[in-house]
Amino acid sequence: MKSIAIAFKNLQRKKIRSFLTVGGVGVAVAVLVSLMGFDEGYQRGLRSDIDKMGFQVLITAKGCPYEAATLMLKGGGGLRYMDQEVYSKIINDPRVAAITPQLVHTVYDPDKNNGQGGLALYMGIHRSFLDLKPWIKFKSGNWFSQDDAEEVIMGYEAAEFEQRSIGDKIFIPGIEKILTVAGIFERTGTQDDGLIFLPLVTAQNIFGLPDQLTGIGIKLKEISQIAGFEEDLYDEPGIQVISMAEVRGTIFNLISSAKVMTNSIAIIAIFVAVIGVVNTILMSVFERTKEIGVMKAIGASRFDIFRIIWIETTLICVWGGIMGNLFAIIAARLVEHMLRGILPYAPSGHLVVITGGLLLSSFMGAIIMGLVAGIYPALRASSMRPIEAIRRGE
Amino acid sequence: MAVNSFKSVITVFISLGILLITYSASAAVGCTLNDPERDLRRIFPESTGYKTSFHTIEGAGREGLKKKVESLLNDRLDPVYEAEDVPYAYYDVLKGKEVIGRVHGINQKGAYGGIQIILATDLEGNIVDFYYQRISSPQARYFRDESFTQQFIGLGLEDLYRQDMLEKIKQPTPGETEDFFNTLRGIKKNLILLDAFYFDGMQNSRIGKVEKGERP
Amino acid sequence: MSTPVIKANNLTKIYKLFAEEIYAVNNIDLEIRCGEFVSLMGPSGSGKTTLLDLMGCLDSVSCGRLEVLGNEVSCARENDLVKYRRGIISFIFQEFLLIPSLTALENVELSLHFSRMTKERKHSLEIMERVGLGHRINHLPKQLSGGERQRVAIARALAVSPQLLLADEPTGNLDTKSAQEIFSIFKKLNEEDGLTIIVATHNPKLGLQASRTIFLQDGKIISKEKSSLFLEMI
Repeated sequence: MKSIAIAFKNLQRKKIRSFLTVGGVGVAVAVLVSLMGFDEGYQRGLRSDIDKMGFQVLITAKGCPYEAATLMLKGGGGLRYMDQEVYSKIINDPRVAAITPQLVHTVYDPDKNNGQGGLALYMGIHRSFLDLKPWIKFKSGNWFSQDDAEEVIMGYEAAEFEQRSIGDKIFIPGIEKILTVAGIFERTGTQDDGLIFLPLVTAQNIFGLPDQLTGIGIKLKEISQIAGFEEDLYDEPGIQVISMAEVRGTIFNLISSAKVMTNSIAIIAIFVAVIGVVNTILMSVFERTKEIGVMKAIGASRFDIFRIIWIETTLICVWGGIMGNLFAIIAARLVEHMLRGILPYAPSGHLVVITGGLLLSSFMGAIIMGLVAGIYPALRASSMRPIEAIRRGE
Repeated sequence: MAVNSFKSVITVFISLGILLITYSASAAVGCTLNDPERDLRRIFPESTGYKTSFHTIEGAGREGLKKKVESLLNDRLDPVYEAEDVPYAYYDVLKGKEVIGRVHGINQKGAYGGIQIILATDLEGNIVDFYYQRISSPQARYFRDESFTQQFIGLGLEDLYRQDMLEKIKQPTPGETEDFFNTLRGIKKNLILLDAFYFDGMQNSRIGKVEKGERP
Repeated sequence: MSTPVIKANNLTKIYKLFAEEIYAVNNIDLEIRCGEFVSLMGPSGSGKTTLLDLMGCLDSVSCGRLEVLGNEVSCARENDLVKYRRGIISFIFQEFLLIPSLTALENVELSLHFSRMTKERKHSLEIMERVGLGHRINHLPKQLSGGERQRVAIARALAVSPQLLLADEPTGNLDTKSAQEIFSIFKKLNEEDGLTIIVATHNPKLGLQASRTIFLQDGKIISKEKSSLFLEMI
């Protein structure tokens, strides 16, 4: 007859009450695991998204970014351009491992956004594009035949949407231009899948932006050189340098206020669960006053009683922990779906990543929670005087 | 500097975010109505509701359907974009509990991009409305023009196999014929699938009429 | 001459009920020797239960001196009293007081567990056989009759091989036949194993079967003469 068996049998006596208390702990643990899993998943997703951009540093034209964003949202274009000369200056910098110039252009497509009209994006790229994104493979076709060829390469989803194959024509509305499909990329899981790429020179020509660029993506030989590199370009007029590490930090800042709120919710859930556990165990201690008196009368020490009650509390929290972890695993995809709806920017891949370490630590947390919650009821029970407990219980 | 780059960082991400969301939303393989509520009410003003169902060329009891469709179209189905598992959406338009018509769309490869052909039919399978939900072409506006689309109103599947009927249909623009034939193919495919999914083996099957020699 | 199992001098227990002090046990001198079978008799409220609680180290002494097996316990603290309740003194209660969530056998094992005794299972089974419940070991208390429950309680008390068995109205909730059965067990334990037993009862038919009877009234021991009057009253 072990203390754990006694504790177990006690909990079985009031099954519904025990189950509800376990459920309360389970929900709290599930909330916690989901939130921490989200934190992990979001960081991973963001890191992978940014890595898949292929560059550590992005050079863009200077301008009020809010204005540009608003214009873009309203469908008025509003992209800023810089002179291609900047690119020629940086290309020979010894710190640069790979560099690619880009020209993004938007045209109004009345069929976009489910017929409501919207902007279609076209990106002029240079062959060095593939140096920065070595993982990109051609599903069919090849690179543009010439630097100024009237051709496009389509992202996987863009090609699917337009039902294009190699050699097909593609019509660019707005500027009334017809180009030929030279290649289609494999799916990458990034925004590249939805884009249509043109040779940089062709893009500059047909969009009427000779020698203009919207961005330069750069990969450095040593990641530690970023600060110095940024510093050197600081005086260059008309441009700004954005490091992707900075971008990541900003995104985290953007969601950190939301995180504060969700974390508070988790803390409240845990607090409520602890109170629930303490309440349940105290109630059961009071109900069993007489039994506790009897146990003492047949030789149980304070510590024996303390241990039984403590184990009961911990058992509840252990089951709650297991249940909560299962909940969290099962509900992860659902939570992910909900979060995607709420978040301003959600990276690709799984948003909620529940690792073994997370499960283990939340489980340990539940045990600790049980140990803490059990102290007071266990003390109350163990300090009862046997004869009073027996007679009062009558 | 810090404030400025902070701002630009936001911009970059807002734009990328928009990009990502816009494109993933429109990357559906099948062809569904942009806004069923609005679109169906425009076509059938007296409608009170609708019911959506999805059908694919593959599936139980549909063996050989692919071959039949290809033979009726006199063309192969594209192995990627017209694969047998592509779901086709059918909207049964309701007035109270009664079905008063059907609306269904298909994707058709066009000369310069994807074409989405939406047909509304009565319960016999005759066209009561036809429009392009999407057409990417230099001549798009001529194709969308009612003087072109109205010509198909009242036609049934077997009519598209009658030379005299076809000769009556005027092309939207003199020079461009490729997307005109793409449109014909799309309408045929649309009606063939409708017939296969709703009238298979029945007395009023239009495919039956085509096969019984009303085909030229 | 052997050490008395219980030795009390001027033993007093005072309860405070609001402002009033109640002398539940009042100045009792008492000695109980090893191997005795003593019954405590008296009307309700005469102090039988309180006296048993004190001797059983379940309650603290207010004044006077109490020795258990030669050890002074009147000033002992709760933590020290536990030692006596483990394997030295066993208690049997009127209302059995079994743990309802445990089976008969587990109830017996429980006292062994708390008394830090090993071989719980084998020993418990033997004891259950001895009280004639070898066939009911896996029943829960609520599935047993009153007599059977009290026998489980006896088994629980005996399992730890105590030197003193205290029973507070052990037959109070039982019919005459079961009550006699329980008393027969006590007599047998006393005669065959030499176990010292103190039983509180208000049933004279049973109480007088003990080798010595002590009469209590208002917390005091009363003389033989007075007690015969009392016996006639009932």
